[in-house]
Amino acid sequence: MTPLTLKGRGTANKFFVKLLVSEYFVIVLSIVYFLIISIFVPSMLSGNNIKNIFSNMWPLFAVAIGQTFVLLLGGIDLSQTSTMALTSVIGALLISNRMNPDILSNSPLWGVIISENGGPLGKAPIVLSVSITIAVMILVGTLVGAINGILISKVNMPPFMVTLIAQMFYSAIAIYLTKSQNVIGLPDAFCAIGGKSIGFIPYSFFVAITLGVIAHILLSRTIRGRWIYATGSNIKAARVSGVPTISTTIFVYAASGFFAAVGALLYTGRLMMGRPTLGDGQLMDILGATVIGGTSMTGGKGKVSWTLFGVLFYTIITTSLSQLKLDSFVINVVKGLVILGAVTLDVARTRIQQKGTLSANAKSGKKVTLNG
Amino acid sequence: MVEREEILRLEGITKLFFNICALKNVTFTLKKGEILSLIGENGAGKSTMMNVIGGVIQPEEGSMTLHGKLYTPQRTIDAKNAGIAFIHQELNLFNNLSIIDNVYINSFARYPGTPFIKKSAMRENIRKLLDSIDLHVSPDMMVEKLSPGERQLVEIAKALSGNPEIIIFDEPTTSLTTRETRKLFALIKKLREQGKSIIYISHILADVHELSDQIVVLRDGVVVDTGKKEDFSMNRMIVSMVGRDIKQMYPAERPVAQAKKLLEIENLSQPGIIKNISMHVDAGEIVGIFGLMGSGRSELANIIFGLDPYAEGMIRYMNVKLSKQDPIDRIKRGFAFVTENRREEGLLMEFPVYDNITLAVLRDYKKAFGFIDNAKLQKPVAETVSELRIKCSAIKKNQVKGLSGGNQQKVVLCKWLLTKPSFLMVDEPTRGIDVGSKSEIYNILNDFAKAGMGTLVISSELEELIGICNRILVLSKGEIVGSFNSNNFDREVILGAAFRQNISNGATNIV
Amino acid sequence: MKGSKNLKLFFLKNMAFVLFAVVFIIFGFLCNNWFTITNFENIARQSSYIGILAAGMTFVLLTGGVDLSVGANMFLSASICGLLIVKGWPIWAAILICLLVGFLYGCFNAFFIVKIKVLPFIVTLATLMAGRGLTLVITKSEAVSMPASLVSGVGSGRLFGILPYPILIFLLVAVAASIFLKFVPLGRQIYAVGKDSEGAKKAGINVNWVLAFVYILNGVLAALAAIVSVTQIGNVTSGFGFGDEFSAISASILGGTSMMGGIGTVFPGAVIGVFLIQMVQAGLVYLQVDLYLQPIISALIILFAVFLDSVRTRYIIKLEHRNIRTEEQVQKTQKSFTLRDIFDRHR
Repeated sequence: MTPLTLKGRGTANKFFVKLLVSEYFVIVLSIVYFLIISIFVPSMLSGNNIKNIFSNMWPLFAVAIGQTFVLLLGGIDLSQTSTMALTSVIGALLISNRMNPDILSNSPLWGVIISENGGPLGKAPIVLSVSITIAVMILVGTLVGAINGILISKVNMPPFMVTLIAQMFYSAIAIYLTKSQNVIGLPDAFCAIGGKSIGFIPYSFFVAITLGVIAHILLSRTIRGRWIYATGSNIKAARVSGVPTISTTIFVYAASGFFAAVGALLYTGRLMMGRPTLGDGQLMDILGATVIGGTSMTGGKGKVSWTLFGVLFYTIITTSLSQLKLDSFVINVVKGLVILGAVTLDVARTRIQQKGTLSANAKSGKKVTLNG
Repeated sequence: MVEREEILRLEGITKLFFNICALKNVTFTLKKGEILSLIGENGAGKSTMMNVIGGVIQPEEGSMTLHGKLYTPQRTIDAKNAGIAFIHQELNLFNNLSIIDNVYINSFARYPGTPFIKKSAMRENIRKLLDSIDLHVSPDMMVEKLSPGERQLVEIAKALSGNPEIIIFDEPTTSLTTRETRKLFALIKKLREQGKSIIYISHILADVHELSDQIVVLRDGVVVDTGKKEDFSMNRMIVSMVGRDIKQMYPAERPVAQAKKLLEIENLSQPGIIKNISMHVDAGEIVGIFGLMGSGRSELANIIFGLDPYAEGMIRYMNVKLSKQDPIDRIKRGFAFVTENRREEGLLMEFPVYDNITLAVLRDYKKAFGFIDNAKLQKPVAETVSELRIKCSAIKKNQVKGLSGGNQQKVVLCKWLLTKPSFLMVDEPTRGIDVGSKSEIYNILNDFAKAGMGTLVISSELEELIGICNRILVLSKGEIVGSFNSNNFDREVILGAAFRQNISNGATNIV
Repeated sequence: MKGSKNLKLFFLKNMAFVLFAVVFIIFGFLCNNWFTITNFENIARQSSYIGILAAGMTFVLLTGGVDLSVGANMFLSASICGLLIVKGWPIWAAILICLLVGFLYGCFNAFFIVKIKVLPFIVTLATLMAGRGLTLVITKSEAVSMPASLVSGVGSGRLFGILPYPILIFLLVAVAASIFLKFVPLGRQIYAVGKDSEGAKKAGINVNWVLAFVYILNGVLAALAAIVSVTQIGNVTSGFGFGDEFSAISASILGGTSMMGGIGTVFPGAVIGVFLIQMVQAGLVYLQVDLYLQPIISALIILFAVFLDSVRTRYIIKLEHRNIRTEEQVQKTQKSFTLRDIFDRHR
């Protein structure tokens, strides 16, 4: 097989290939798609729609940051949606200030810590209740993730199965706690974080972006981040070089749980209720957006910024599909196909990149031996 | 003597990997009923040569003829169909299947007209096959239950089952006991009598001398010497293989042990892996551990470094007893470990050189909140890079996988150098590295020793150990069976020790 | 000391049987009317369609892959089947089309996994999404009913009046699959590919074809499972097949299949696994355990199974390493060592 040559249609070809391989491919694709689709669907350009896209992105982005961490390690976290559901329910049960006995009296917690007056923090001063609730939610999420991490790194169980079982387990618990009911009666201050905006910039934007920046800096400039990339790229080499692979794994999965809890906070606020089915069906969205962004499922390659681009692209596509008044099921079909297309593209991009390195080395006379 | 008919002829075979010449103008002939031995150092091109014959890769120039007809295999199956069988050093067996499944995985006999396997048809053949190589095990035994020697015999059975005309053996004796080796040789000689042609690749020159009719020496991809066995002395073989005044290759001065004891190991044992290993390394020394494949070298290294567990015994470093499985603690105390396989265990191939170099030492360059102090790293990194003469234009950008083998190995050494180690363990220091870089690495190790570092070099290349060490220990089947000082380094004696499985009580002199 | 090691080994190798026996006896104590034919038959009935899925999934797992789309596959093929019958197609033709849909679904998966070389996990997750969505579009998210004749004929019917057809079909599939894996070359090659696909390629096996085969077969079996299931329930609702892929995977793993590939059986492995899971669920229902707690307990059981699988995998890896020297080998060589051996070899 001959290495990919860039002759023939010369500079135009070269430009496209360079674009294809670049980090910013997805964002360029997003913009191009947006412009093209606007021609067919003028409503895309409406202020309302842009506002929609802008506010929909952020909770998804927050959760996807966590998934990015896990994918960087070469693992996967299928339990993020159940973590969202669990923390949403726990948060709501804590802070709700009025509950309808007809709805929630079946809950095992009824009469124990919840009642018509809501949860244990329902009547507490607002600053206290909101901060404690947020803290508890984050703690629960992080703990769930840490347990996953321990099972994966210390007991050596495959991430796919561990997080799958966790998904079933915590989802069942969330449903059990509320007996499938939603929990309403959440104070406005709590819901504002996910639901309100300053002008047309939602609070969720600030939360997600801040966390995104922190995550990005952690991954790119700190020792922890370096260790994550090393473990994900080649766990054996990492171990030999003194990287604490076990604690790194636990950290990453705990982070995934952490971000799932943050996402739950934003969504719960937006919906103004705690839902035991929060995140149902969203796993594909989370994974899809992250993978479309370019983060590799085999580990060692990816960035938070890429995930941001992926989430943007994904949100634009889904909003455009709903603007086209398509059935939600058709949208699912398209989503599935888009993800397939994205990974195919990713495989192609990786191959092109590899051939590029090899031929570049040949040109510069670097020696390539069989074993080296 | 009847002039034997020519079976396989290679003419002017040249193989390029991009710009680099792995084989240049290789020409030789294999005659029917002849045993031809191919010898050469690591990286000389033996594997490339075999891959060309076996159809794994195609040459840029030159031609091969089989029975006078042009032979151009495009895939491994073409070679097999042409009657050429390959017995690799790394076993290609499926441990989860039986012997009979392994041998016939691609050629099951079936009940005619049905898709069902007809075991009875194959049983007769397989029994005959196993008997001929003296492997008296049931054909239905799962391969995972066999010893390495037995597995190698199954691999041979697999090759022979296709009734090949030409059989290529690549380092076949490294996992065999003495008895099994003798049986193998008897088998090879029997095959020759049956008119089969054999290409035998080995670095055990005594074997080569015993078996061959013809000897071909490869060096740096070129055939530098060939001839009849009778015309080849041991010395001629070595000189042709190494190709230069040995004195030029290795450092002039041997390392000298200094008074400080570094590593002390007492009665280290792990069932099935090593037994009763006792040894020590002092500052300033370069101690070599020589062993064949399957002797437990790399396993021992992993245990010493704390990557794998051990059941009994003790490891002391600078008089402090070490905990069993804690590589990070070892690194903090000054251990460094260059593993056998840099691709799989030593480097992050997709990452820049800089990231690889700094990986082991990040803890020491920490700012607040865990940030990496890149500013503080600049100087040490630049110093070690220039000290080891790593050829790379942009270490923060260039991926390490684009470097040559020699430079990659230097990157690994650089990584460890930054940790300011006092004890270095190197497993196969020059595997897959061109000759020029090998010499550089030997000098680097020698400089380390002069500076007071204690080094343990594990290698399957006896020549290099003889060249750079002041002491050599011989490992065989998980035990130390011999110890030699630089004043009595004798290649054949050391090799003899490596093959002399397990001398019983008392005859070992462990130092 | 050796005794306990042997016991450990025995337990690990026959994990599925031991668990099955233990659970069986425990529920026997706890529930009345446990040891009745009706109870066993119920469990076997409920196991039938999952068992067929598990058989197919075992093929995929043996190659080291995974197929998450079987539930959606079931949904799509059953819906199309039902819709065709409603439109007036003869039942046998509709069933054939159903199997064809399963086949095509499998081909679609195989294409992306084998030709484009995308990870099976992602491909089948994407086709799961697309497949479910597509089916909901086709059925306009309305339930599709099956003709009563099919339900009473196949679903409730019995061979010779004794063996219910669903169970029969399941057993036939299980036996056929096991025979295939043991006595047909392609079956043995599946084990080889799962253990070492590079090595398999070197040995001349057409790895692409083997991989494509397992995913396509799994697709067909998913469609078959759909038929078995739908003839018992009577209609196809929007939740049909939802989550069944995970039950199939769990059953197979519980039965001794490794996610790494190369190890596992359909019979007895996956069959025991399926019965075990169904038995637990039946037992929990029997004991009238809170409906909300049942999935929690199921999850814990599956967790335990995967835990045992990891232990077993680690043990096998340890065994494979442990071959530098065996004591018998050393004894043998010690006995055969003579002076001649030195001089013969290294003159």
